[in-house]
Amino acid sequence: MRPTSGGFGRLLVLVYGVLALAATARGAVQVATAFHEAPLAYALSLVSGLVYGAATWALATDRRRTAWWCVGVELVGVLVIGAVSRVLPGDFPDQTVWSGFGSGYGYVPLVLPFVGLGWLWRTGRSGPDQ
Amino acid sequence: MIGALVALVVVASLALATWAVVFVVRDRAVVLRQLWAAAVVEALLLVQGVVQAVVLVRTGHAVSVPLFFGYVAAGLVLLPLAAAWAFAERTRWSSVVLAAAALVVAFLQLRLVQVWAG
Repeated sequence: MRPTSGGFGRLLVLVYGVLALAATARGAVQVATAFHEAPLAYALSLVSGLVYGAATWALATDRRRTAWWCVGVELVGVLVIGAVSRVLPGDFPDQTVWSGFGSGYGYVPLVLPFVGLGWLWRTGRSGPDQ
Repeated sequence: MIGALVALVVVASLALATWAVVFVVRDRAVVLRQLWAAAVVEALLLVQGVVQAVVLVRTGHAVSVPLFFGYVAAGLVLLPLAAAWAFAERTRWSSVVLAAAALVVAFLQLRLVQVWAG
């Protein structure tokens, strides 16, 4: 089993780190300055940032189990929130990383979980998933 | 906002990105001299952040302060972390990481201009 942080994994961790920084900082500013305007969306914004942060850490330190969970949560998050924000745009100001399937971030949040899961699968093939 | 300073940071970070891409093509890892170059870009980022803060205070320009300095801080935090992360890898992916980080720094400058414009 290869470490998740080597080779292409270096770049993956960087991209995750940048997204974690962007989402967490944005969520923190939103929650701190305008929480009452859209509590759900802004709390979600912050939570998504923390999940990206956890994924960055897990991928960087080769914690596969945590990484699988975090990347899985991101995939579900971007698909569910992306769909909800399309169906009920009024309830979801276009202000989270996952709104509109991540369209505000060049659809990186939509593509990244697939890449992350693919990478975890590829690096973990030769051994048990632990 | 002092446009020349933004342009200088963008040119410096794009130069660093280009240098790293050359290393990717040549299948080489990041070398110490590139870390020094990244340190120069970091110093420029710091100078530009301080200067924009002074300009902001003196002109009373209306801008979202947490947003603006969030982008300033993001670049300052990202570059050293990414450079160290790149340097620890000893394959060509090391250079890919440095190139990507330098491009993100350049992109953050563009966002900075947008935030300033409102």
